[in-house]
Amino acid sequence: MKKRLYIELENCIGCRSCLAACTQCGGHEERNRNYVYDVNPLVNRQTMPLMCLHCVNPACARSCPAQAIQVHETGAVLSALVEKCIGCQNCTIACPYGIPKFDTEQNLMYKCDLCIDRTKDGIPPMCASVCPTNTLQWLTDEEIANRKKQFNMDNGKWISSMPYLEGETNVKVNLPGILQGITKLF
Amino acid sequence: MQTKTVNNQKHQRSINNAFASHFAKSMFLAVSGLAILTFIGTRMFTHVDLNLYGYMVGTIIFLGGFFYRFISWGERPPTKLLIKKGMKLLFRKSTPKTTVNHLAVYEFIWNRGIYRWTQHILIGWGCILACLVTFPLVFGWMYFTMDDTGYYNIILMGMEIMTVPADGIIANLSYNALNITALMVIAGVSMALYRRIKNMQARAEQTILYDFLPLYMLLLISITGLALTFMNVFLHGVGQPIMSLIHQWSVIITLIYLPFGKLAHIPFRPLSIFARNYREHYAEQSMKKCNVCGNEFVSDEQSKDVVAVLGINQIEFQTKEGHHLAELCLPCRRKYRIAQFSGFPTHDVKVKEANQNAKG
Ligand code: HEM
Ligand code: SF4
Ligand code: SF4
Repeated sequence: MKKRLYIELENCIGCRSCLAACTQCGGHEERNRNYVYDVNPLVNRQTMPLMCLHCVNPACARSCPAQAIQVHETGAVLSALVEKCIGCQNCTIACPYGIPKFDTEQNLMYKCDLCIDRTKDGIPPMCASVCPTNTLQWLTDEEIANRKKQFNMDNGKWISSMPYLEGETNVKVNLPGILQGITKLF
Repeated sequence: MQTKTVNNQKHQRSINNAFASHFAKSMFLAVSGLAILTFIGTRMFTHVDLNLYGYMVGTIIFLGGFFYRFISWGERPPTKLLIKKGMKLLFRKSTPKTTVNHLAVYEFIWNRGIYRWTQHILIGWGCILACLVTFPLVFGWMYFTMDDTGYYNIILMGMEIMTVPADGIIANLSYNALNITALMVIAGVSMALYRRIKNMQARAEQTILYDFLPLYMLLLISITGLALTFMNVFLHGVGQPIMSLIHQWSVIITLIYLPFGKLAHIPFRPLSIFARNYREHYAEQSMKKCNVCGNEFVSDEQSKDVVAVLGINQIEFQTKEGHHLAELCLPCRRKYRIAQFSGFPTHDVKVKEANQNAKG
């Protein structure tokens, strides 16, 4: 059963477990590849994670002159192949969400690969495995559809893609109702 | 000015029209080039070593695969752009230094780990040196003659370049050059195989066809090569003809495979010099200021180029504020996305991004 990373943004409490877990994934060389942001840092403590969304038509891969960024058959957009990346940094400029990181010393780009060694076998990625608040979850399409119904929002805003994202993505994001002044029914 | 460029284009088109495709043209030029070099090197085909005939055929098939793969690569919009601009910037002051660093010393691999660097120096330089010896021999560009006096002549492109004592150091080094390079490659490949079996990081992503096949092929080439020497020296040539065939076969298969798998990085890597020159040159010209915070984060040129390349792919990241997302620095671009999720303009709050470096 194909599962996806599903993000319920407003559950995030800013513990950064996902970042710590990311460093521990095979192939990540102990460097994390994601982000956690304060939404309104001077006013409250709401945070949100920002992950690679594994675009269906990934701008990072389209802009890479070396074809170093491959798309896995599961739809995961992989990190740069170590022998191919020539260090131009086009991908960092192209990604609409600013995800790829670049190591100048190693002349190498690295980004979220959705823990491909795990997810290719159906094991959830590290971030979703450790998230204590169910912000990051590993779900089937059916479960995601149920989630959508359960929230009982018939304004079509819950599972966000366009216009909140720049294109179709393999990771599904759930828009934060609280911050939009909409009550979410658990 | 205008007419001149038009003329140039016409001129180019007329040459290109003589061939069915770029592929046919490159293939024709390369094979002619090889033939001419061989003609000169062999003193008009008087010194051809027919034992090496298989390699000649292999090289020509390799060229076919190579041009096929690399011409289609070169047509991709970002690659085409980088090649075009990289050619123009080829003669920067820093080019020789960058070239040595990127293609010979591999400082950037050193920074990935000393083990990985050692492994690559052994494999890479072992192969490069072996090719430097083998190809001139195959195409007759280099051969050796022996005088009655016990001296040994090295003949390169039909010219005697060196005469050395047949039992001297240089002579011994050149008889053994391929044995030495074979040992280098075996050591390097063994290191790579060990890392691929032991190291969790390497294990995560590897596949048999992409990661192991080239290693096994290199190993096969080196071992059969060494076996040839062994049979010649210690077994008086017993089994030598068969081993010679296996060796030839493994080299040819590797050459044919080269443009399609992991080893394709070898002819492609020089583009890293283009990329470095491109970044250095245009960064000196003018830097792009982030449309939100005003920090300089990339050269103007690269920002425009990426927007153009995405445009060719029908990807437009226009914001409702009238920017292209590629015009925002990375932290602002990330905050801008958070702002789209929350409805609150996070990117307008002048606070540095909070801790992003949780350690595991
Ligand atoms: C032109 C110069 C070359 C450059 C810049 C280059 C660059 C690289 C880089 C960056 C890697 C990844 C290393 C890592 O991160 O661990 C790599 C791997 C590799 N290179 Fe090269 N390379 C070059 C020439 C060669 C040559 C001539 C060979 C010989 C066939 C070769 C064979 C390999 C192999 C087999 C690997 C994979 C090692 C493994 O399995 O981990 N390279 N190369
Ligand atoms: S979010 Fe960015 S890095 Fe991830 S696939 Fe899309 S373009 Fe690439
Ligand atoms: S930095 Fe590497 S992965 Fe990114 S576009 Fe350039 S070559 Fe491709």
